[in-house]
Amino acid sequence: MNLTFSLAHLMGGIILLCAFSMLSQRRLAAMITLYQMQALLLSAAAFWQGYAQGEVSLYLTGLITLGIKGLALPFALRQIVLRFNMIRAVETAMPLILSMILGLALIGIAVLVVLPIAPGAISLTREDLAMSLSVVLLGLLVMIVRRSALAQIIGFLCTENGLVLAAIGMPGMPFVAEFSVALLVLLAFLVVGVFLFRIREHFDTLDLTGIEEIERRGR
Amino acid sequence: MIILLPILLPLLAALPLGLLGSPRQGAIANAGLTALVFGLTLLVFWAPGAGLVRADRLGLIFGALTGFVGLTTALANIAYVRGAAPRLSVRRWRVYHAMCQVVLGSVLLGLYADNIGLLWAALEGATIAATLGVSLPRTPSALEAGWKYFILGGVGIGLALFGTMLVYLAAQPALGPGFGAMSFSALSAHAAHMDGTLLTLAFVFILFGYGTKAALVPLHGWLPDAYAEGPVPLTTMLSGLILNVALIAILRFRHLLQANFTAGGGAMAPGPFLLTLGLASILLTAFSLTRRRDARRFFGFSSIEQSGITAVAFGVGGAWAIFGGLLHMVLQTLIKSALFQGLIRAAELRGSTAPGHYGFSHLRGLFHANKYVAWGLGGCMFALTGLPPSGLFVSEFIIVSQTIQRAPWASLPLGLGLMLCAIAILRQFGPLLFGPAPPRTKPGATPMVTHLVALHLAIMVAIAFFMPPVVAHMLLGLTGRLQ
Repeated sequence: MNLTFSLAHLMGGIILLCAFSMLSQRRLAAMITLYQMQALLLSAAAFWQGYAQGEVSLYLTGLITLGIKGLALPFALRQIVLRFNMIRAVETAMPLILSMILGLALIGIAVLVVLPIAPGAISLTREDLAMSLSVVLLGLLVMIVRRSALAQIIGFLCTENGLVLAAIGMPGMPFVAEFSVALLVLLAFLVVGVFLFRIREHFDTLDLTGIEEIERRGR
Repeated sequence: MIILLPILLPLLAALPLGLLGSPRQGAIANAGLTALVFGLTLLVFWAPGAGLVRADRLGLIFGALTGFVGLTTALANIAYVRGAAPRLSVRRWRVYHAMCQVVLGSVLLGLYADNIGLLWAALEGATIAATLGVSLPRTPSALEAGWKYFILGGVGIGLALFGTMLVYLAAQPALGPGFGAMSFSALSAHAAHMDGTLLTLAFVFILFGYGTKAALVPLHGWLPDAYAEGPVPLTTMLSGLILNVALIAILRFRHLLQANFTAGGGAMAPGPFLLTLGLASILLTAFSLTRRRDARRFFGFSSIEQSGITAVAFGVGGAWAIFGGLLHMVLQTLIKSALFQGLIRAAELRGSTAPGHYGFSHLRGLFHANKYVAWGLGGCMFALTGLPPSGLFVSEFIIVSQTIQRAPWASLPLGLGLMLCAIAILRQFGPLLFGPAPPRTKPGATPMVTHLVALHLAIMVAIAFFMPPVVAHMLLGLTGRLQ
């Protein structure tokens, strides 16, 4: 194992750790900090892969990740938290310990699913794949176990970080893919920002347990 | 590059539509643009493009269908906007028309793209636009529907992207890095040499990712709500086209897996996955249709059933079953868009096209309001059951007979589900058309839209029963290669 592999794996591992600790955080502010750390590490991982593979386009991916996900999105998220006065908001949906056990199970599944792939020409990506799949699944789990709309969005963004982690590990993945992901995530975030304000306007809260209008009216 | 025109024109036109004009002007400009796009989708048959955006026959046929349905939707939309204009602000109507164009452009991009990444981006773009459309009325239930759509759609789109990357990785041994390993035509030519284990894993992710878009059970939760809450032309007719793109994407990836499996490349057969999801969709619909009271939600569930039937057809496999599945998609797209046009007219005759005015109890006794609208809507509903003069009879007959031949164990649940769905639709048929009308019902004028509904139904019957041998031959050749 040379330095390329170990450093890439180290960064992938910390990104996974960030995703896992999101599950254990009750406060939104802490989740945003974790998300920012994850995005910064992701951009570092992209730079490192760009250096290791000698691909200029990966540097661009790193720059986009740094700009949009490392700085702009966390800033916007913090603004929303301030605006809605949710700094001290504590939201629990499922006992934390239960969600963490579920998270562990998901990581196990991710490893088991990737294991049968023959280690060969793509051995570098096999471990990468396991880690990125774990990050994707943990992001989805965050979306499920949280009740606040904002926390669900952070879960969505975490999922998307996992996807980019998978993309930068793949040799020669055309840059267009990562670029379009970044662009679409930005668009999605704008749409969701509008949503948040409307939900707040109508329900006076971002806690989604309240909005079951359709259920209540009966279908 | 003629092929880029029908894609770029609507996407670029969305900007001026979103910024300028009154609702009426917007609707007319929308119709004009869509007519142009329909013309271009026909022109594309002679210039199918090259490189990243190159339409194969499947894309061409469904592109023309998309153009046609888009055009009739846009024409019906003019009347819809005239009636509904006071309900939303001018700015929201602008956003609405811009989103109609974005959905149209993205759907065409998804159909024409010869690149798995571009296909993904197109579906994601269409989803974001449709989400925005669903939440436009800004009522609490519309927000709930929009949020559900966004979360489920986001999950689906994430899984699909992961699957897409896995397909790229699986193609590495055969095609090496670069754009080649993302092109459908190159992938299907080299499917036998791809990494079978990775390809199977990729297919599972893609099936669940795009299955969310195609509203296959258990990923269907967003669809009935989205159909019931947003402005009808955007959220039901145009979004129905997104279902087609997702199903065609599943069909293309299924082909890769099947080709690898047949060549002994180590992949699993795709049939059981698709059959399970398809049968689950049909059976769930069969049991939930009887309990729906809102017509838009009711027909939303019926769309889930149609997706399920198509998935079963693709799962059964073989040239004829896939032919039946594709025919089913074409016919049901025509019927559904006509049906919702009729439904808007019916609701308008009863006073309002706002969500919440589509309850069966509210619409019943349509004959007392206007017999032409009643015949149009009734014809569409009857066509959905798949009973003989309907074109769906032909496609369902092909699918069921192929299922008996190739996957006998699935034929019983399939037949049961189809029958229960037909009964559930027929149960609503009588009261809706001939039942006693609510008090104070006044007969209304015959709207122009009834001609559009009749046109859709006529084309549907013509395609099913009088398909020119040349077209049938072309389609069978296509499905022969896709089996």
